[in-house]
Amino acid sequence: MDNELLKEQELLNAITKAYDVKGNVIRKGRVEVFVKKELIPSVLLYVKEQKGYKHLSHVACIDWIEQGEFQLTFNIWSHADKIMLYVKTRIDRENPVMENLDGIWDQLNTYEREFREMFGIEFTGLVGEKEFILEDWDDMPPMRRDFDTVQYSKDHYYFRPGREDAKDVRKTLTDRTGEEIPDYATKYSREK
Amino acid sequence: MREKETTLYIGPQHPGITGNMMVKIKIKGDTVVSSSTHVGYLHRAFEKLIEQRNWLQSFTILCRFCVPEPDPMELTYARAVEEIEGREVPERGKWIRVLVMELARLQSFMLWYGGQSGSAGLYTLGQWSVGDRNYVLDLFEELTGGRVYHMFIWPGGVRRDLPKGFKDKALRTMDYLEKRLVQYNKLLFDNVIFQKRAQGVGIIPKDKAIEWGVVGPPLRGCGIKSDVRIDEPYEVYDKLDFIVPTFEGGDVWARALVRREEIKQSISIIRQVLEKMPEGEYYNKIPNPMKWKIPAGEAYVRTESVRGEVGFYVVSDGTERPRRVHVKGAAYTHAFTVLDKILPGQNISDVSFILNSMGACPPEIER
Repeated sequence: MDNELLKEQELLNAITKAYDVKGNVIRKGRVEVFVKKELIPSVLLYVKEQKGYKHLSHVACIDWIEQGEFQLTFNIWSHADKIMLYVKTRIDRENPVMENLDGIWDQLNTYEREFREMFGIEFTGLVGEKEFILEDWDDMPPMRRDFDTVQYSKDHYYFRPGREDAKDVRKTLTDRTGEEIPDYATKYSREK
Repeated sequence: MREKETTLYIGPQHPGITGNMMVKIKIKGDTVVSSSTHVGYLHRAFEKLIEQRNWLQSFTILCRFCVPEPDPMELTYARAVEEIEGREVPERGKWIRVLVMELARLQSFMLWYGGQSGSAGLYTLGQWSVGDRNYVLDLFEELTGGRVYHMFIWPGGVRRDLPKGFKDKALRTMDYLEKRLVQYNKLLFDNVIFQKRAQGVGIIPKDKAIEWGVVGPPLRGCGIKSDVRIDEPYEVYDKLDFIVPTFEGGDVWARALVRREEIKQSISIIRQVLEKMPEGEYYNKIPNPMKWKIPAGEAYVRTESVRGEVGFYVVSDGTERPRRVHVKGAAYTHAFTVLDKILPGQNISDVSFILNSMGACPPEIER
């Protein structure tokens, strides 16, 4: 075994021995484990309390729409081992329900509120105001891949009267005043 | 007399708030009973916009994630892209990146001087430091073409080499700032008002700090030596000689002392970089950006900013656009859970004082 990756391999072995999970050593200081969503609270508590991975650095949510799943990645750092552990899980996109985890790390509450609003993932038992960033939002959660931002703005916003055709401002002005547009100004014009 | 509980809204329009956010506090008399943070005044859907642009176009958005210190965002993203793609950065490019990072740290500290002293009612220092910050911005203008937003660090290195005469100008600016720092510190740290206001206020318990997600100067102000620059050295930080200052106490005073020492370290790093920087290539050119595809993969990369660690989770699905870029700045924990825990029991007048010392930066929270 590569001596440089000894600590990383030890961590991976400890987790795979304690739980039925798979994982890899990515490189020095980076280990990933793939965990079923039911096991997530247990694995997080284990690495936090038993292995000393106390600093929850980041939680990311990714929408894999082609596979019909959301991916949650918990990035946990150990100040002693100097290793970043990725705990990855997948949630069904049709029925996105996950257990509330803010009892393990308080700051998970903020992440969960964001994911509830932006991806529509329900965290059972999550306490916290429903509105986090958006206000009076009744459309599809906007960070989902199938949310069409252009269509949304077409449906909800309108052009200022007189600007419906979104024409070049300089052309509109010269039409009004009768001035000639110099060549250098039309060089990059959209109207050309 | 029975005291009534009153709700007080600090922000989004308030001189003491650190940006477009609101801290809703409940008070009894002058004492804070509970606090909760509300955001939503600044959401620009940056993460969604990035998904609709190509890998390089994202840079116009990235730097706007945090106004006081845009460069760590560029560097973190560039490093994440490089990690997924396996692109090497030439040695000189790495040194220039460190120079940009430390200049960015320096100008951000100057803004902090203004915010921290202003929230204690000491307005003179803010005028001085924000005025002197312009000398650092001048250097940025000469180096990158922009004063506040630079878009200078790209995957593969940096956009330009140092201009002629930059080294001398930068060294002169460092000499000047070092002299000025003595004056600043006399005005702030020797001031009995600041000492009495800062000591014993907004205490973060040392045993809880890591678990609460405290990072950066607030964590080092609890006596815990933690800095991404030494924990996971990136670019050329492992070749530089600098210390990571720590102070005990966990209060606003300790956090201010940490920052005071870190400015000196930044100046020292800039001098070292200017002296030791090797000659050579500074940019490993990328292919046509409109057709540039990154192999499928995921990477989480961290950088130390003034407020603490900045983390980017970047996912590629093998196309010319990022699949997902998830950003986490220090303020994401500092302005929510940590603030909710340290504000109860404090005086109302200390709320914005503590906010400034925690570096709560709203654009980092709602990206």
